[in-house]
Amino acid sequence: MERLGCVDVRALPLQLLLRTHPDWRALPVVVVDRDKPTGLIQWANEHAYARRIFPGMRYAAALSLSRELRGGVVQEAEIGDAIDLLTRRLWCFSPHIEPSDREPGVFWLDASGLRNIFPSFDAWAARIGDDLRTIQLYAIVAVGFSRFGSYAGARSSARNRVFQSANEERAYLRGVPIERIIADASLRDTLFKLGIETLGAFIDLPASGIRKRFGAEAYELHRFARGEGWDTLDPEVLFEPIERREPLDYPEDNSERLLFRFAGMLHGMLGELSARHEALKMLRFWLCLGDGSEQESEVSPATPTLDANQILVLLRLRLSAIALSASVMEIKARAIGVAASQQQLALFQESALRNVDAAQRAFAKIRAELGNDAVVYARLCEGQLPEAQYAWERLYTLAIPKPPRMASRQLVRLIYAPPVELPPSDRHEPDGWLIAGIAEGPVEEVVGPQIVSGGWWTKDVSRAYFYVRTRSGRWLWIYHDHQRRRWYLQGEVQ
Amino acid sequence: MSYVPLYCKSTYSFLEGASQPDELVEEAHRVGLRSIALTDRDGVYGIVRAHKRAQELGVHLIIGSEMTLFDESSLILLASDRKGYANLCRLISKGRLRSPKGVSQVSVEEVCEHAEGLLCLWGGARSLLAGETDPKAMTRNLHEAFGDRLYAMLTRHREAGDLRREHRVRERAKAAGISTVAGMEVLYHTPARRPLQDALTCIRHGVTLATAGRLLQPNAEHALRPPFGFASLYEDDPGAVMRTEEIAERCTFSLKEIRYRYPLERLPDGTSAAEWLRTITFEGAAKRYNGTVPRNVQQQLEKELDLIHDLEYEGYFLTMWELVRYCNHHDILCQGRGSAANSAVCYCLGVTAVDPVRMGLLFERFLSRERAEPPDIDLDIEHDRREEVIQHAYTKYKRTHAAMVANFIRYRARSAIRDIGKVLGLPETAIERVARMLSHYEFPSANALHDAGLNPGSKLQTNLLQLIREIEDVPRHLSIHPGGFLLGHEAVHDLVPIENATMPDRTVIQWDKEDVEELGLFKVDLLGLGALNVVHRSFDLITKHCGEQFSLATIPANDKPTYDLIQAGDTVGVFQIESRAQMAMLPRLRPETYYDLVIEVSIVRPGPITGGMVHPYLRRRSGEEEIDYPHPCLEPILKKTLGIPLFQEQVMQLAIVAADYTPGEADQLRRDMAAWRKSGRIERHRERLIARMARKGIQLEFAERVFEQIRGFGEYGFPESHAASFALIAYGTAWLKTHYPAAFLCGLLNAQPMGFYSPSTLVEDAKRHGVIVAPIDVMHSEWDCTLEPRAGSGEGFAVRMGLRYVKSMQQNEGMRIVACREQKAFDSLTDFAFVTQLDHGILARLAESGALETFKNERRDALWDALGVTPTPHAGFALDDAEPTAHFTALDALETTHWDYTFTSHSARGHPLSHLRDKLSRNRLPDAATIRNMANGARVRYAGLVICRQRPGTARGVVFMTLEDETGFVNLVIWEKTFEKYELLAKTESFLGATGKLQVQSGVTHLVVEQLWRPEIEEKPCETKSRNFH
Repeated sequence: MERLGCVDVRALPLQLLLRTHPDWRALPVVVVDRDKPTGLIQWANEHAYARRIFPGMRYAAALSLSRELRGGVVQEAEIGDAIDLLTRRLWCFSPHIEPSDREPGVFWLDASGLRNIFPSFDAWAARIGDDLRTIQLYAIVAVGFSRFGSYAGARSSARNRVFQSANEERAYLRGVPIERIIADASLRDTLFKLGIETLGAFIDLPASGIRKRFGAEAYELHRFARGEGWDTLDPEVLFEPIERREPLDYPEDNSERLLFRFAGMLHGMLGELSARHEALKMLRFWLCLGDGSEQESEVSPATPTLDANQILVLLRLRLSAIALSASVMEIKARAIGVAASQQQLALFQESALRNVDAAQRAFAKIRAELGNDAVVYARLCEGQLPEAQYAWERLYTLAIPKPPRMASRQLVRLIYAPPVELPPSDRHEPDGWLIAGIAEGPVEEVVGPQIVSGGWWTKDVSRAYFYVRTRSGRWLWIYHDHQRRRWYLQGEVQ
Repeated sequence: MSYVPLYCKSTYSFLEGASQPDELVEEAHRVGLRSIALTDRDGVYGIVRAHKRAQELGVHLIIGSEMTLFDESSLILLASDRKGYANLCRLISKGRLRSPKGVSQVSVEEVCEHAEGLLCLWGGARSLLAGETDPKAMTRNLHEAFGDRLYAMLTRHREAGDLRREHRVRERAKAAGISTVAGMEVLYHTPARRPLQDALTCIRHGVTLATAGRLLQPNAEHALRPPFGFASLYEDDPGAVMRTEEIAERCTFSLKEIRYRYPLERLPDGTSAAEWLRTITFEGAAKRYNGTVPRNVQQQLEKELDLIHDLEYEGYFLTMWELVRYCNHHDILCQGRGSAANSAVCYCLGVTAVDPVRMGLLFERFLSRERAEPPDIDLDIEHDRREEVIQHAYTKYKRTHAAMVANFIRYRARSAIRDIGKVLGLPETAIERVARMLSHYEFPSANALHDAGLNPGSKLQTNLLQLIREIEDVPRHLSIHPGGFLLGHEAVHDLVPIENATMPDRTVIQWDKEDVEELGLFKVDLLGLGALNVVHRSFDLITKHCGEQFSLATIPANDKPTYDLIQAGDTVGVFQIESRAQMAMLPRLRPETYYDLVIEVSIVRPGPITGGMVHPYLRRRSGEEEIDYPHPCLEPILKKTLGIPLFQEQVMQLAIVAADYTPGEADQLRRDMAAWRKSGRIERHRERLIARMARKGIQLEFAERVFEQIRGFGEYGFPESHAASFALIAYGTAWLKTHYPAAFLCGLLNAQPMGFYSPSTLVEDAKRHGVIVAPIDVMHSEWDCTLEPRAGSGEGFAVRMGLRYVKSMQQNEGMRIVACREQKAFDSLTDFAFVTQLDHGILARLAESGALETFKNERRDALWDALGVTPTPHAGFALDDAEPTAHFTALDALETTHWDYTFTSHSARGHPLSHLRDKLSRNRLPDAATIRNMANGARVRYAGLVICRQRPGTARGVVFMTLEDETGFVNLVIWEKTFEKYELLAKTESFLGATGKLQVQSGVTHLVVEQLWRPEIEEKPCETKSRNFH
């Protein structure tokens, strides 16, 4: 490996917070570890520093220094997503990327051989910086001869830095302040107490003494700083999607013929995935139409697969459900894969009495034909209103149901969603209240009311529920909405 | 048809009911109900307040509680008579004392055992009677225990499940032959409180409104219903409604029936309490007056003893005497204060240390036949040993007969906004921003919320404002009074339930101080006072090293050098008169006698300051203003304070004499003065006082001024008796500082944390007074600071700093060093580490603090070595000889002091600015000593370390700061506008520069700041911590 680059997206969580709240940029802003007054400040912007608000302080203490202070938590998942995004973008600049697993926002890039593509390392570094700025993130890039050298260069510089020789890198490294490099606050503070302020002074300490006093990690850092070890990259594995496009010779309207076109494309993509030890997780496709528009859709097998027939069945269902506004001029497809090992293992699973896989496949077909919202389940919720006691959620993984044993037989209530508006109750109606039409007869018995009210903090709701029996013997569940002053049929007791 | 609500929960069910007990009573009265029951969960916390209001309105209050059983179900118990109330209290105590704080659980068997005098209502959503399974055995047990006093309670709240539950209750009651009674769970007095009830539920469960779901009540049907509303709810069963009145008639118990007797000592054979009190009082008097009790004292004692006997208060005085005797016997310093200092009996019993006859204090302020309320004796006990006295009280009177008084932690502005903000789903970081902008009592305006970034006019903001106003004063949880004890002749748990406090070995009653006072019960206050620690420790050191024995009673009175020190305002460390404001007052007031000290202690208080009493008093004292009285009748009251009311007693007397207040009215005035800030009750005295004074011929202007003074006292005013007790300790500590500065410093340092100044300031001040302070050294230091003979230092001794000043060091570690050293002196760092077996962290901290200098001259070398000492195969420690040598730069003098401050909070080696003096002088920055000698009006630039920041509420936004250098202090006065301009610097810089004009008056120098700045010198002193007061 000739050259290594290090990209330091400084204070990544803080940059992410400011990206979410651009109106905070002129204010002191901090990232805290939890949304509590006692939360510890992890990152602070320059306006916060100017008000003597530093990482390590409690949020409440910082507030006493500036009433303008804004703060927030950046979730691990958000940082993880950002690192994924950055990794993908950096792949455009190097085939081998290694994100730091200790410091979010630090990446090492293999810069070998890039001179043939970019005019210089300076230009390469500048292009990286420009690219990241398009997603409103700011980074410093250093190109050096060792992993530690490039890292120290990026961490300690205010702008991009390219070392021209290994000697230059080593000389620079000795003058780097240790607070730029050593993240472990305890080690850093102890070194400060000992009067050790630069990497040079740190390197000059006896290695055995470092290991004895500060442990293996400090010793390793000392070793790296001395230029020993840690140069091999451990690059991130990329499940690069496979894309195909095929202009059609003539405008096509027939879904079967379109399917045939996709079939040819699909076999090639599956072969390629197979060669990468991957299986197809999702197939996204586009139909480019004669009127200039594009129709986009996707199908997903029940589990990742390399079986073309399974995909084609789903594709046929989905194509037949699409209404085209013009003839198709071109088709495009993107196959997204995952590692195939799980799927291979599944082949050896014992089959249960209930064939969950078959059900999964059936659901996949339904989803393919009717869309992803076609297969849902009711999740029970803790709401007060009937409609707030359940929520429909997409069902992706089917489990064998295990209903709890009930002590007594429960009445089944049919719930109308949305409720059906009823005619007003006329006090003087000669035939009584004909709530469900003449055939069912008038209401003969009323039980209630049961009152449900609340939601005052967002939108007031107040309903009086009744069970009513019609002459025909049906028990209906109705309510009067006090805000709307109307009657509704909520459901029926079966 | 009328009815009686029998199941009502108030805010004293803690985060469940949303109305105060008095609001429930008032609403019951308003809608025409004759009776109401208060049945808070597992307690009777709110009954005194409800009882008081019910008495005023003529409402019959039924006392009860919803009891939680082991299976989490509940039933309601109502007290029908005194026995029943005692049983209720005993049962609650049983449940509470076996459970962690905030929880109570009892068994059905225990309920049955305590059934006498109680009625049981069984029903509601939390009861087993309404559950799916028929509780046949429990029904049988309860029916056997309660007989016809057991009722099956129906509850209708128009909720899903009501019908099913009621059906079960009716069926089971019918089968068991139990009468049914109509009921509902009342959680608030009006439906408008439903949002608050929802919010309290969320706080209790730690959820937001958006996520609370079915934890909230499904509707607003838990309000107190008027008779018609309740009758229509149960129109199908009028008999069950009528039965509520039948139950009310059976419950005749009232809190008025509580008869309280104070515990009596076991007396020597046949002696009555009165005789015994008389005997020990006169024995004490003989000691106090060296065998010859003056005639006026004898007369006073007779008068007091007669009144004590008439009011049957002997037990109380004997208890106080016993507690003081316990303290004396166990060498625990204590001193009574409060209005007890007005009593000659207390003085002779040794409870107080001020001779009220000599001082002319009025006994009637302490005890009077007209007021007929219990006397109030506060006993200050040296802080470190107070727990011993508390545990003694528990042991002597038994936990059944002694418990501490509770303190209800209530919602105030900040706590309200924090909890309500969370409930409404606001980010906590945003809530904190709003909370920080408010004082504890100031409720936010819409503008304040807008400034904090909340949208004005939004529903969220409207809800937030509404709820935080409603939640004000709602009790959040039970805490413990700082020292209040309730002692009873009969078991306390027959009066009020007892439960566990959070502190181990503490039990607490379910009433607070106001409840106890309302019922006329006796309370003993055992309070901790750090200054008594200092005095005790200092006297012990003097005895040990100088061979002289002193006590507060035997130190020479009217000692001139002591008063010289006080008059010079040289009072760092002196109890009560050490603050910046007190130090500035001393050269003006120039105390010459003990009574001057009493005034000094009282005058620098928000009361006299906001009442505008300070300057008139000083002018009259210095002869600049004539002493006059607005009416001749006021002269006897105001004579000793030159016509200006300075003490709380004077204000009360003034109301009696000038405005014809009765003693009872005057006492109410005192209570309202104490509570005016939260209730505004003082305003109702305004018209009455002014009108009555006008009738007496007192000018309107003076009457207005008197009222302002009274209101000022509400802020914080001292009673004379209180000040008299404190002045004794103030004089004692000033005497110690004058004559035994080393012992005094040692005592002060060992009693930390306490007082106004940090240890570094105390050390620097002592050094300026000629005390040599020796640094911490593992070869010489004990855990505490000690005295070492040293010529030319203090009273012939230097102070050796103790290991307790090594940051983060634990006492057991320090004691281990001392114990090992006593076995054999350490000969090297390796030996030290091996013998003491201290871990690397502590070894490093000792190196950093300079305590290992005996072994290694340079601290960095010592630190490197301390970190490198490793266990040997023989379980010892050794330095690896083969390790290459590391070289470190030695600390310079400034860095050394910096390390001292960082790792020991002080430096025995030097003040940080002494090392920078040359540089500061080159920048034409004078020291504090130079500034003290400069003329009034001089323009000055000064730089020093900030040791104190103050923004008193009485100063209209003015900020006071004290800066320190190696020669003393400079006090800054920063006007509000200047402070706003330099707020960040003023709040954050520990080394600060100030430019301004000197204001020199009566020997007191202040620098009135025009500019603040960061001193621009190459080297900076270390960051020091200031003590900030707001």
